[in-house]
Amino acid sequence: MPYHEFKCSKCIPERKKHAVIKGAGEDLTSALPLGYLNTIPGSISERGCAYCGAKHVIGTPMKDVIHMSHGPVGCTYDTWQTKRYISDNDNFQLKYTYATDMKEKHIIFGAEKLLKQNIIEAFKAFPNIKRMTLYQTCASALIGDDINAIAQEVMDEMPDVDIFVCNSPGFGGPSQSGGHHKINIAWINQKVGNVEPKITSDYVINYVGEYNIQGDQEVMVDYFKRMGIQVLSTFTGNGSYDDLRAMHRAHLNVLECARSAEYICNELKVRYGTPRLDIDGFGFEPLSASLRKVGLFFGIEDRAQAIIDEETARWKPELDWYKERLKGKKVCLWPGGSKLWHWAHVIHEEMGVEVVSVYTKFGHQGDMEKGISRCEEGALAIDDPNELEGIEAMEMLKPDIIFTGKRPGEVAKKLRIPYLNAHAYHNGPWKGYEGWVRFARDIYNAIYSPIHQLAFVDISKDEISSDTKFLTQKMISDVNLSEEVTSSSELREYTGKYDSLAKLRGKTYPDLTSPKQSAAV
Amino acid sequence: MEDMMNDRIGQLVDYIMKKCLWQFHSRSWDREKQNEGILTKTMQLLCGEPVETGTPTDKCYWVDAVCLADAFKTRYLWLATMDKAEIKLLMQGLKDRMDYLTITGSLNEELNDPHY
Ligand code: SF4
Repeated sequence: MPYHEFKCSKCIPERKKHAVIKGAGEDLTSALPLGYLNTIPGSISERGCAYCGAKHVIGTPMKDVIHMSHGPVGCTYDTWQTKRYISDNDNFQLKYTYATDMKEKHIIFGAEKLLKQNIIEAFKAFPNIKRMTLYQTCASALIGDDINAIAQEVMDEMPDVDIFVCNSPGFGGPSQSGGHHKINIAWINQKVGNVEPKITSDYVINYVGEYNIQGDQEVMVDYFKRMGIQVLSTFTGNGSYDDLRAMHRAHLNVLECARSAEYICNELKVRYGTPRLDIDGFGFEPLSASLRKVGLFFGIEDRAQAIIDEETARWKPELDWYKERLKGKKVCLWPGGSKLWHWAHVIHEEMGVEVVSVYTKFGHQGDMEKGISRCEEGALAIDDPNELEGIEAMEMLKPDIIFTGKRPGEVAKKLRIPYLNAHAYHNGPWKGYEGWVRFARDIYNAIYSPIHQLAFVDISKDEISSDTKFLTQKMISDVNLSEEVTSSSELREYTGKYDSLAKLRGKTYPDLTSPKQSAAV
Repeated sequence: MEDMMNDRIGQLVDYIMKKCLWQFHSRSWDREKQNEGILTKTMQLLCGEPVETGTPTDKCYWVDAVCLADAFKTRYLWLATMDKAEIKLLMQGLKDRMDYLTITGSLNEELNDPHY
């Protein structure tokens, strides 16, 4: 097994099995790190807790809901607003956060009364919102507050409200991934099947594992609507609580982030017979294949093809402009869970960058299987890295850019390596054809920003030459490009708008009946 | 001859591992069904045989199989030189290899967890 031992982790020998370098001729039966295990004592992990995974990642993107934590205010504060899962109802779920604010006295005397008072107060403060999700935290779990009973009491007293309870305290899993699992199962057990939806199309899907980061969901839903598909619910980005109670009526579950939401798809398949189709919304080729597959399933692949042709013609010359300038740049692809496999091969193929390392904070071995298969030989794959390992890897691999979260991202900046926020994005959405160009533009701007060139100068000791002029990104990036590329009339920089979502909101779609129905008329 | 067959199987495996996701469902029994369902239908499409699409699950396998068969045909021109019997042999070899890489030889310790 090609394990990689970090010098900084020699004192934690168990860490050795959590990193591998995929060598020549090696495959998954010889190169796979351990994963989804409790963090080893002594290793300062970058993971989140199971409460955070349930609330912050999956619960809170639901848009028409009061999301309340039962616990100390700190748990809530740290899971508030740090992701950009926007919504088309003025970001209600991002603007407010709610906690019962448990204190020491509640640990001793119980906090059920406090909880009930908080729930009622919140509903009164927002009389138009009739739905709530309630999250247990370590503190309320340890004292044994019966959150379900309190929720029921309130629902009995206020018949127009509905409350979902998520029992996923922070200690309830090795990482946030444990919380993803718990909330998936809790939602299907408690809520799916409770609402009967209005079916308006012959083609009905749930779009699952999609969190509308900077508008990703809205971009994808636009494609589906242009194909005449009804998106019954999105689990959970920009999703509506009641739509998600009707998930059982979809004909197909289209699954994007399998890491966070495959559980509910698997259960929908077992309980309701709805099949699961895994897709990739990132990158021209994977996205095109995905739209085609959804089209094939419903017998409307010609509609998918029309979108693929139109969007590719519009955006490919812009993607290729960036590809010419990003070729050979070394990337550490260090996201939380699923983006290591969503992006590993496609940023290499479509943007020309070299993925020298992949890591996952909370992914399972299945995510590493996908990621390692998709990256090239020689890539360093790390499970649940600690900060020192991250630094050692950056010093060893000398990447041109890191895609990661904001905590390791700040560390990278100190080492003067530009980083892009893989979880919340920079100038997203990054899904869809236009979104993929926006991602390429963000990478380009990060690598070639003059600020990074300047950051390498240490003003406390380096001589600052007076003939060093300010260089724009293009002056830096184009220096070694051929004339053919720099003066190409085909390739061009991104020409979309600053806000690429405005054109989607309020858009109307043609009523597309099924080919069967039109033939019968 | 055997070398050539192995080389060709290797090319098909590489394509699936890089471009597809269906082979990586989370449990062994799931992976067995996925590999069997999708690769059998791909073989049938490549051999011009009828394909069952009656149930939603069958249809889902068929969708992935159509995309896979198309990709194989456009990328691996040697496929057009093979007769039905050879394609069946090739696809059986591919299925065996995929089962090994994703199930029997897999190092993924979660595959045999009885729950999702
Ligand atoms: S680990 Fe427990 S106390 Fe800490 S944030 Fe998570 S739920 Fe709160």
